[in-house]
Amino acid sequence: MAAKGILQYVNDVKSGDTTCEAYMAWTLDRIKKYDGILHAYLSLNDSALDQAKEIDKKIKAGKKVGKCFGLPISIKDNICVKDTKTTCGSKILEDFVAPYDATVVARLYAEDAIITGKTNLDEFAMGLTTEFSAYGASRNPWNTDYVPGGSSGGSAAAVGGMECIASIGSDTGGSVRNPASFCGIVGYKPTYGLVSRYGLVSYANSIEQIGPLTRTVEDAAFLLNIIAGRDENDDTTVNSPGVDYLENIDAGIEGKRIGIIKQMMSKGTAPKVAGATRRAVSKLEDLGAKCEEITLDMVEYSVASYYTITSTEASSNLARYDNIRYGYDFPPDGYEFNSYIAKARRMFGPEVKRRMILGGFVPSAGHAGRYYLKALKVKNRLSEEVEAAFKDIDIMIAPTVPILPFKIGEKIDDPIALFLIDFNTVTANLTGKPAISVPFEISDGLPIGIQLMGRSMGDAELLQAAYALQSTVQLPEVTL
Amino acid sequence: MVTEAEIERVAKLMKIEIAGDEYADHIDRVQKMIEYFDVLDRAGTTDAELSVYEMPVTELREDEHVTFAGDIQKHLKNRKNGYVRAPKMV
Repeated sequence: MAAKGILQYVNDVKSGDTTCEAYMAWTLDRIKKYDGILHAYLSLNDSALDQAKEIDKKIKAGKKVGKCFGLPISIKDNICVKDTKTTCGSKILEDFVAPYDATVVARLYAEDAIITGKTNLDEFAMGLTTEFSAYGASRNPWNTDYVPGGSSGGSAAAVGGMECIASIGSDTGGSVRNPASFCGIVGYKPTYGLVSRYGLVSYANSIEQIGPLTRTVEDAAFLLNIIAGRDENDDTTVNSPGVDYLENIDAGIEGKRIGIIKQMMSKGTAPKVAGATRRAVSKLEDLGAKCEEITLDMVEYSVASYYTITSTEASSNLARYDNIRYGYDFPPDGYEFNSYIAKARRMFGPEVKRRMILGGFVPSAGHAGRYYLKALKVKNRLSEEVEAAFKDIDIMIAPTVPILPFKIGEKIDDPIALFLIDFNTVTANLTGKPAISVPFEISDGLPIGIQLMGRSMGDAELLQAAYALQSTVQLPEVTL
Repeated sequence: MVTEAEIERVAKLMKIEIAGDEYADHIDRVQKMIEYFDVLDRAGTTDAELSVYEMPVTELREDEHVTFAGDIQKHLKNRKNGYVRAPKMV
């Protein structure tokens, strides 16, 4: 029953090989069987099967049906779906019910997608493993002793474990690409501004982006066609340049110039991951690409810049959780203002509290020059370096994550080790470039993803390169 | 090295309580994180410009009130007679 991806699912429903109801029932059965292990979901849509039946009725009656044909898709639990809980993986929003749909959700509904449920994440998307979720960690479908990555780890575990066909996540520093790499699926961060963030609970507005997690590259292109484009509710959005991202996805990469980022293949990269990346480069050369090493000196400082900027923005964004407009509920009687808010903030988990403290410290008087302003300058220099490199090359390549997936609990006590897992992904966020993780190899039973990065608004070209890379590999199915 | 006192001061400003069992762990981890940020000193950005993105006012949407479709107040738990209830400021 498992469809290889969205395109196959849509074709099967169109051709009558399956029905929406049958596929949804199979999906819900997978969730019932395996989510007790994977813990990919925080909540489920109890009406999913009924909604699938309604779409079958529309098909049978010859009525117009949206492009998704009842596609079972999950949504990360920091993206608003009207009248459903949006917890952000936090106890402080345990009972928060979203009053409206995020733009991406509205656009998926308009094309007859069915939301299976809301997926687990590190609290407020601050983490790389889902271990910082207030509701417990998700598990990697390839080996359930291992982390699925994060922060969109629930989404990746759901797609990798076939508990939905695709998911929508958010990527602030790699939060779509990292878990996609760890779970053996595709994770795609579009160009900043190409997809509306309206309805995404803000963490670091200046660099985060909503993006799809899918089984194939063409599925990511399919979803981008639906969710991309200007939104009057998000002034950072730009018009989609009238491109059908799926149409020429098989254009190939012959003659394309690919830059291998030297700093992302350095001493911190696990030998198996570096080896897989070299083999990916070799495969791309076989397809006619011209690959050469490039240097981006500012990458060395990108993680420090990233955490300085994101902590600062996070501390501002999280200030709204004051138990008055949002938050843990108890009556204000008998409290003084500050103590009331401080009591509410006890409901934040430890990592969120640390990031808020960091975010209060690094831009503060006496420290801003040393940290925050330097971080912004590094971001600027990094953008200049990347722009200069793109004059001579078309696509950049690196491992998505420098190391293989690791066991749950293995790194949670080492904040710097966790920081460095982001080493290869934050550059795309700091520079606003599109980037994608393509599953490439299985090593010791665990997936390795390869990251490709493109020019701003060069999403079509990037997806074509990713499709070419995907065509060179045939990975085994997850055994769960 | 950032001191415990500095971290405590910032935590208080952020209305974050770090007392009790978690105190030592929080201080230790925040210190490690800030120490790691010292790598920015080596980036050589003294003469670098700060990037500024300017958007002309004419490109911003009209600043018009749009009524929310639906009963937004039903989502608030501490409310009375159409107002949000909050603790005393003074």
